[in-house]
Amino acid sequence: MPALIIENDKIKEAVQTIIDLGGDGILKCVQCGACSAVCPGVKAGFPVLCRLLIRKILNGQMEETIEEVSTWGCQSCNRCTEICPQGVRPQEVVFAYRRYQANDLALSTSAFGPQMSLYQVGHAVTTEATAENRKKVGLDPVPPTALNNAQAQKEIQTLLDNSPMADLGIF
Amino acid sequence: MAKVGVYVCHCGTNIAGVIDVEAVRAHAETLPDVAVARKDLFMCSDSGQEMIKQDIRAGLVDRVVVAACTPRTHEPIFRAACEAAGLNKYLFEMANIRDQDSWVHGQDHSGATEKAKKLMASAVGKAARLHPLEDKYVDVTKAALVVGGGVGGIFSALELANMGFTTYLVEKEPSIGGVMAMLDKTFPTNDCSACILTPVMVDAGNHPNIKLMTYSEVEEVEGYIGNFDVKIRRKQTYIDWHKCTGCGACAEVCLEQTKGKIKDEFNLGLSARGAAYIHFPQAVPKKAVIDAANCLNCRGHKFGEEPRVSKKTGEPMIAPCQEACPADAINRSLSHDPNGRIEEIKVGSIVVATGYQVMDKGWFKEMAPDSPNVITALQLERLISATGPTGGKLLRPSDNEKPHTMTFVSCVGSRDEKFHTHCSRVCCMYMIKQARLLKEKYPDLSINMHFIDVRTAGKDYDEYYVGARKMGVNIFKGKVGGLEMLPGDKLRVLAYDMESATPIEYESDLVILATAIELPESAKKLAQTLGLQFCGSNFFRELHPKLGPVETSTRGIFLAGCCQGPKDIPDTVSQAKGAAAAAAVPLAQGKVKIEPILSEVHTEKCSGCGICVPLCPYDAISLKIHGDRPRAEIDMTQCHGCGVCTSACPSGAIVLHGYEDDQIYAQIAALTA
Repeated sequence: MPALIIENDKIKEAVQTIIDLGGDGILKCVQCGACSAVCPGVKAGFPVLCRLLIRKILNGQMEETIEEVSTWGCQSCNRCTEICPQGVRPQEVVFAYRRYQANDLALSTSAFGPQMSLYQVGHAVTTEATAENRKKVGLDPVPPTALNNAQAQKEIQTLLDNSPMADLGIF
Repeated sequence: MAKVGVYVCHCGTNIAGVIDVEAVRAHAETLPDVAVARKDLFMCSDSGQEMIKQDIRAGLVDRVVVAACTPRTHEPIFRAACEAAGLNKYLFEMANIRDQDSWVHGQDHSGATEKAKKLMASAVGKAARLHPLEDKYVDVTKAALVVGGGVGGIFSALELANMGFTTYLVEKEPSIGGVMAMLDKTFPTNDCSACILTPVMVDAGNHPNIKLMTYSEVEEVEGYIGNFDVKIRRKQTYIDWHKCTGCGACAEVCLEQTKGKIKDEFNLGLSARGAAYIHFPQAVPKKAVIDAANCLNCRGHKFGEEPRVSKKTGEPMIAPCQEACPADAINRSLSHDPNGRIEEIKVGSIVVATGYQVMDKGWFKEMAPDSPNVITALQLERLISATGPTGGKLLRPSDNEKPHTMTFVSCVGSRDEKFHTHCSRVCCMYMIKQARLLKEKYPDLSINMHFIDVRTAGKDYDEYYVGARKMGVNIFKGKVGGLEMLPGDKLRVLAYDMESATPIEYESDLVILATAIELPESAKKLAQTLGLQFCGSNFFRELHPKLGPVETSTRGIFLAGCCQGPKDIPDTVSQAKGAAAAAAVPLAQGKVKIEPILSEVHTEKCSGCGICVPLCPYDAISLKIHGDRPRAEIDMTQCHGCGVCTSACPSGAIVLHGYEDDQIYAQIAALTA
């Protein structure tokens, strides 16, 4: 494994990028690890979340980490923010990093499908089983949400077209 | 005309790194009244001071202005230099071009230089109009008060008493000893806390110069250094301490009557006491008290009432505690004042050593505070103490079973911006101590300790920590994120190992929280009484963090121990002895100096309107008949020179020496020029 080279310019740029993208508590981190202790993503085997992701950013390893899929394991449960003794708001850092990844289209492949689905029908995830279950209890197989509302779908598409998401060219 | 000497200090690069010192010096030469303007790398050095002295002796200057750091630390030095050269020391004025200028305008060199010129010019304006003043002296009462009877207070009191001064040691609990008396053993030597503290407590209790006032609280403090008038409330014990022998018979019968419903504070709620109780077995003084709020008034025998007569036996039905007392120290028929009584004492100096409390576990919802098996480290201390609720056996509170796995959690409420941002300083060490003691006693016990980082800065401390690792205590870097209650009174620990970057999850039988050290609520009331200030971490603020660690901004009041900030026993004792030495100075001198920067009423101008009387924050002003009419009069010993009366007086009759009208107008003129 190559040794980590500490370059101040890289670190500064990394920290500023994350701050600009919403992770403005990052410099408060003292690396206590409480966030990772409660993170379901870390427990599920995504190691580069919370504490370790922050460490890597603070080391300036933005490019080296860009293909990391751990960040997409964040379930936004926010327990890290609740537990953090220093007010880092680790979830915001994870999300800022995701925005950085998304800008370079370094999205997890699993993220593309739901994004397109969200654009087309207004739901990120839909399953066949839902329709069956609803029929069994005498409900319309399509729920009365955006899925069943062309007007709402149109509005969602307009919102997404006008958002930074459109620049990624997924849709 | 005044001959002002101006001396501009570089303060190394503190000032010269930002301000153009030569420009400030040259500007001084252009000012009226300035006779000499010089500069030096360090004005406070011998050569800098010598420069001032030579100019005074040569008759070049008769007023001195030093533009340098802060008068807080350096004004006395320069005043002394003036005095040594034969100039009245109150003809000296300081311009603070460091704290108020170079430090705060570090990025604006030219702006800072301009500001320095103005600050210096304003000091010159004032200095040229100063008048010589004389110091005043008042006698002192050669006695001291120590507030708080923990290890800090005990050592302060012993030092002062050994120097020959009468010392009042006031403690709110029935016995002295404080938190140290609750500890089992002490790091890093593992000597028994009670064994080393008890003889010292007894010394304090028996010392001819120490007046022990336990179960007492400071109610009111008035006066000033050398002459404090203190009111102390001796709380109602409901037991005649002259008669009580400390046998504990009342406590025993009372515990039967109250059926264990009252939590014992000394064992932090892990055991019960009676309403009549003795604080702890080695208490000094060993006397019982009755906690009236919890007293059941057994057999209807209330305080202040004669016992009822039994219809069956015709005998009076006296309460069991009174019946049990072999020394006749309990007489419930007497009418006791529930407020106790106020005792007034006079002292010359005061040492405050009120100690600390640890945070309650209830604050930490993520740490399963409802589980009986989650306890604070101080509770564990009682649990493993020979005088504790289990006689020193490690048994977990839920079922009195010996735990197999236990967990220590560091930094609970410390280093946490939601609670306290400070490091509580002793937790790492006492957790390691507890782990070592338990590992020695129960080698099979699995002990896991979780730290943010281990802080063991102290003599022999790191060796103690490394020793714990060698003994097989598992130490993990990474803060515990949460605890979850599981069936069977177990706890799931959610932690993280930083070194391997992996989550840790296991079941633990007992969890110890090292909760933060903080100032007790009761100390806040005392702060108001004594006029003490708080620091950022909400402990009492010392005069200077490095150079005035035992002094406070109130002269004659000193600090020792954890009330000033978290510290271990060696540091507390050191500071206690230091505070005692500092508190003894005015007592030994027999008189104290009062700076003459005080207000004075010019009686002939005073209209006797009385506006100044309620404005004075120190109650120093009263109206006295002068001739045939009332006139304001200021008590020199009470005046602090704040200037409120001076600015409020409609007749301009009050003069604050050292800050007279023309002096202040000259300053304003220079600043707005």
